[in-house]
Amino acid sequence: MPADALRLQSVTRRYDGGAGLAEVDLTVAHGEIHALVGLNGAGKSTLMKLVVGMLRPQSGTVEVLGKDVARAGPQTWARVGTLIEYPLAYGDLDGRTNLSLAARLRSVPAAGIPTMVDRILDELDFRRYAEIRSGRMSLGNKQRLGLAAALQHHPDLIVLDEPTNALDPSGIIALREALVRRADEGAGVLVSSHHLDEVARIAHRISVLADGRLVGTLDPAGIDIERSFFALVHAASRSAA
Amino acid sequence: MTTFRAALAVESLKARRSVVLRAAGVLIVLGVCGLATTVILAARSGNPELIAKLGPRAATADWSALLSTGVQITSAGALLGFGVGISWMFGREFADGTVAALFGLPVRRSELAMAKLVVYAAWAAGVAALLVLGLLVTGLANGLGAPDADAVAGLARQLALGLLTALIAVPAGWAASWGRGLLPGIAVAVGLLVVAQISVLGGFGSWLPIVAPALWAMQPATGSTMALLTVPLVPLTFGAATVSIWMRLQLDR
Repeated sequence: MPADALRLQSVTRRYDGGAGLAEVDLTVAHGEIHALVGLNGAGKSTLMKLVVGMLRPQSGTVEVLGKDVARAGPQTWARVGTLIEYPLAYGDLDGRTNLSLAARLRSVPAAGIPTMVDRILDELDFRRYAEIRSGRMSLGNKQRLGLAAALQHHPDLIVLDEPTNALDPSGIIALREALVRRADEGAGVLVSSHHLDEVARIAHRISVLADGRLVGTLDPAGIDIERSFFALVHAASRSAA
Repeated sequence: MTTFRAALAVESLKARRSVVLRAAGVLIVLGVCGLATTVILAARSGNPELIAKLGPRAATADWSALLSTGVQITSAGALLGFGVGISWMFGREFADGTVAALFGLPVRRSELAMAKLVVYAAWAAGVAALLVLGLLVTGLANGLGAPDADAVAGLARQLALGLLTALIAVPAGWAASWGRGLLPGIAVAVGLLVVAQISVLGGFGSWLPIVAPALWAMQPATGSTMALLTVPLVPLTFGAATVSIWMRLQLDR
């Protein structure tokens, strides 16, 4: 098993107009929760999209579980769980069927799927929505469904973009506990947030992204990390100007 | 192969639970059969003005009238219905945002696109078969009696037209993928319909693959069977282009 579950080296991906990422280096070790924080437009989603191939880097390399993202095969992707932008939630299908379908797409053997789905429904306290069509679910419950799909197969690399969006407090606690359990099992976890939310606070490492560049790190055990975060962001803005 | 099987299972499940595909299939079958019934009833009404408007082929109010009406409506209505169906299968992923969840999976997006095409073909073939069954029931319910050899040949032609019409609607799926939404696909389906109908009514372009099936089915004696051989070029070309779009897809816009 490679030392890092995820490794980005000198990754650049600029959009027309200049926004995007520039020369970003980032790693997520096995057993580590790494939070990526930054204001809206800082480049967090771009970075996450690069990890799953939604975007291709203009330069630099992205390695997922030791494999270059462009060459990673089915066996690698079966060990990854992601929620980026929108959950795998088809409106015609209920919660349980959506989760079964996500498991098929992750190459989980069919015989093991019902038990696996039952376990995640309990773990994320989602059982009462198992038979509800996702088209009728609230935004928060769709988010919980997407998180369940990303976590249910106990992946070795978990990538979640703004996972607490629309979640209620009980959902945030359930997610936080599930991520800690996965990291304890050896999974590498990358989560992004535009603020220092409850999930960022359980991270082993917090990196700050501003204007497409990694501008520093925060001590998760620090007393006033909110102030430190804004100090880093404002310093980056001043130096860019 | 294992991942393609998973793609096929997933796409098949999505299609089976889809209200849109079910509704489109029902509308095609009921629409064609309902309009064919109306024509038979109108021909039997004895109203000379109405009979004159229906034309000599429909005025006989027999199997030939029913099936020639069915063929005319199918060539237009089923093309639109199949076009909407395949547009929805590809465009929904963009419209619903679920396309974002189709990256970073063991199942490749090109396999998902191929699975969608296979499932579309199965759905359309089912609708085409149900349409033949519907027309048979319509004829029997309207007292046309047991179909004779000509009527059986007409029903077989109806089945072939349904299948060929499904093939020429595939560009709508390509457009939905290229335009990343439902509307580009539906716009192309409407465009195909307009071009095909104008060509049929004008009696030109019989060599065009999107025109050939309707002309052949309406005028089996004079329509070119050779022209039908060009029809598979449409799904092959646009199916390959659709798979290529999904394979190279980046969410950069």
